[in-house]
Amino acid sequence: MTTLETGRTVGAGLDRVDAPLKVTGDAQYPNDYSYPGMAHAALVRSTIAAGRIRSIDVTQALAAPGVLTVITHLTAPKLERGPMTLLGGSPPAPLQDDRILHYGQHIAIVVAETAEQARHAARLVRAEYEAAEAMLDLNDPRAQIVENPWGLDTERGDVDAGFAQADVVVEGTFTTPDNTNNPLGLMATIAFWHGDSLTVHDSTQWPHNVRTSLATIFKIPESGIRVLAPFVGGGFGAGLRVWPHVILTVLAAREVNRPVKLVLTRPEMFTSVGHRPNSVQQIKVGATRGGDLVAIEHHGISSVAMEDDDYEPVSFCSAVSYACPNVLTRDRQARLNIPCPGSMRAPAEGQGNFALESAIDEVAHAVGMDPLEIRLRNYAEQHPFLNLPWSSKALRECYLQGAERFGWSRRTPEPGSMRDGRWLVGYGLAGVSYPFYQVPCQARASVRRDGSAYVRSAATDIGTGTYTVMTQLAAELLGLDITRVRFDLGDSDMPYAPQAGGSGLTGALGNAVHAACRRLVREFLDVVRDDAASPLRRAALDEVTVTDGRIHRVGDPGQGESYVDILARHSLEELSADGRSTPPQAEELGMALSGAFGAKFVEVRIDPELGLLRVARVVSAIDGGRILNEKTATSQIIGGTVGGISQALFEETATDEVTGRIANATFGDYLMPVNADVPDMEVLFVGGPDRATAVGTKGVGEVGLVGIAAAIGNAVYHATGRRLRSLPITIDQLML
Amino acid sequence: MKHVETEARPAGQAPPEAPHVDVTLNVNGTLHRLRLDARVTLLDALRDHLGLTGAKKGCDQGACGACTVMVDGRRVVSCLALAAQYEGREITTVESLSVDGELHPMQAAFARHDAFQCGYCTPGQIMSAVCLIAEGRANSEEDIREFMSGNICRCGAYPNIRAAIREVTGEG
Repeated sequence: MTTLETGRTVGAGLDRVDAPLKVTGDAQYPNDYSYPGMAHAALVRSTIAAGRIRSIDVTQALAAPGVLTVITHLTAPKLERGPMTLLGGSPPAPLQDDRILHYGQHIAIVVAETAEQARHAARLVRAEYEAAEAMLDLNDPRAQIVENPWGLDTERGDVDAGFAQADVVVEGTFTTPDNTNNPLGLMATIAFWHGDSLTVHDSTQWPHNVRTSLATIFKIPESGIRVLAPFVGGGFGAGLRVWPHVILTVLAAREVNRPVKLVLTRPEMFTSVGHRPNSVQQIKVGATRGGDLVAIEHHGISSVAMEDDDYEPVSFCSAVSYACPNVLTRDRQARLNIPCPGSMRAPAEGQGNFALESAIDEVAHAVGMDPLEIRLRNYAEQHPFLNLPWSSKALRECYLQGAERFGWSRRTPEPGSMRDGRWLVGYGLAGVSYPFYQVPCQARASVRRDGSAYVRSAATDIGTGTYTVMTQLAAELLGLDITRVRFDLGDSDMPYAPQAGGSGLTGALGNAVHAACRRLVREFLDVVRDDAASPLRRAALDEVTVTDGRIHRVGDPGQGESYVDILARHSLEELSADGRSTPPQAEELGMALSGAFGAKFVEVRIDPELGLLRVARVVSAIDGGRILNEKTATSQIIGGTVGGISQALFEETATDEVTGRIANATFGDYLMPVNADVPDMEVLFVGGPDRATAVGTKGVGEVGLVGIAAAIGNAVYHATGRRLRSLPITIDQLML
Repeated sequence: MKHVETEARPAGQAPPEAPHVDVTLNVNGTLHRLRLDARVTLLDALRDHLGLTGAKKGCDQGACGACTVMVDGRRVVSCLALAAQYEGREITTVESLSVDGELHPMQAAFARHDAFQCGYCTPGQIMSAVCLIAEGRANSEEDIREFMSGNICRCGAYPNIRAAIREVTGEG
């Protein structure tokens, strides 16, 4: 492995390369495309949560102006279910029978000449149901329970013996609600067929998954399918899967033999593209009087749909965060009549960390120790159950530098002891140990006759900065000015890329780009290997370096030549090379693979008479490995923090307990932070490149969110003496 | 002022029951004659009939601000406006802000301060920010926070959006 050297381009806080397109409105999101002869689709959704469709009458809808077709379970063809993916099984194929498994299930798709006509006709479809009693409650005794769904339950030591030794045991039940991803971009699909081949624009975080899935579902070769997503209006996990509406749009386009566009409505976004499922967690932590953790037991249960998979091991964080000898973690899922849950920014970690880091705070108060001190005292110097050194871990520096920047030492320990006029002031903190995730990825790099480079991979940039950081990385690795490099993505015809998810894309793609660029330099050396005119004749890759569009011998810039000269002398238009990355293996490296770490410090202000809560300040200290672009990485942490504030204080998808209807499925009713709710915040990056990969990044897309809810809850306790274990924290919980 | 004739939908496709209206929209200084289904919103007229896809649809319920355009100098959420009611009004969209490839100062400030991530809310945020200054409502941090609160950014770029606006007001 050749480790990336630090240079001029990587790390710099450059403006996004796609900024001009985004600020002018020229960036094209899936629903911005239009094609001649394009028809428009609208969905009909079930109004019950469980049962069967007794009858469905489409007569009026079919007769409505402009309507081209209406497809229901009575007329839909048999469709294969999508394949197993990195994220588990695919969602069930739509319209395959008369069963209703959740409220909002698509029961028909209407296609018309215009969107207005399609929407109107969709309202004319009449369904009659035979309703069954829906299971909607996580505690429903009838619900099927899936034990240890991911095989991630852990046990080390003996927790009962641990609790027996403890001087202090704290125990609590924490609940987190359903949250809905709600990327601002309404998810859209445009599909058109040309014979047996298919082009699809989709709001996806993973174009190759759409291609592979549609090939399986429609039984056509992958090579005939092209999926495009150069810009996506956010995702936060909602674009990771091939949802039923995507399949229906493709089906409708085949039916009417025209391009068809479907744009989900905001209410449909609450039932069609996943959500963070609710959870109930029991956590019990034992410690000695001196603050040594001796036992942690963490049980979590989450809801999941009747016939779908979702990855939410909420208790797992307790297994990896502290050097505690006796730990037991257990996860379960309850199958309910709910829309399919799915990953939402920091799945599982967002919920589990709230319970764990609140409980650690309780232990600190119980033993009379500073919450910062107890975390340093129980610091996991090595991976707690692999017993390997971390590939990198600067969590201690996160705590210390974050505390310094925040002014943690000004905190007086007694709850309610800090005031500013009518405001009770509370300081809270939480730590984060985010899991490592990386999967294989490919990229292709070319240098052309004019000396410019073109690098591409079928990844997506959902706002993460992928376009920008990969441009920087390629420029660094090829020794080119950033203006001479174009990085492209969002097209399934490009080399394979995994999903933008799990905080794993930058690592996977960065290392693939690294491999492609290194191989490309070697290709140039191969061309001049026997070239008597070249100062690089017989040079090996490790004997050269690249700067200013030239390859030259290390330490001797005079002994080299430019890409342009090599290509011209050998009459080549361009040279290209493919690169791939595979995840590092802990056993081979003798290191535990590290994700990002973080320490979050929050100041809240509470008006005890009105129950008002204001987040006044947030400091996030993050070990994200190598930071490729300080500006976009900072934005990731700020954005994650806003997501964390939202989880802590605002978001709760409300399900009607009788009908299963989402009762707040609009932006007027589903609360999210607006500008005035969010303070200015500070972000510090500490630590250095991770040792496990050449590029050394660790992914910063999710670590920003995790820990904010616990830090706010801990700050509320410090301000009020009230321990709140149910999210979101609302005004009624704060009236003193 | 330019006049552009936009091809109306072919008569054969027009549904008999849905009333259509003839409307002339003045968008970014250009008059467009359109024959529209009376249900077409100003947002859909801009996006689907005039090809101006800068204004975005985030909720279609007037709650997110992604569709913000300027009408006679004021901010309007174009998803809640029927196109037929906007004849004779001066409509300005994000597409008009940059001239000959030169970014408007607000656009440049958004780029410098990384005041967006996915970029979907950005045209609406920028139109709102430009109007805010024109309305005299960007005079303090508190004002900016309050009067930009009709534009949701789900990526959470709010602090950077404020920094961009502050920079422009500081210059202005």
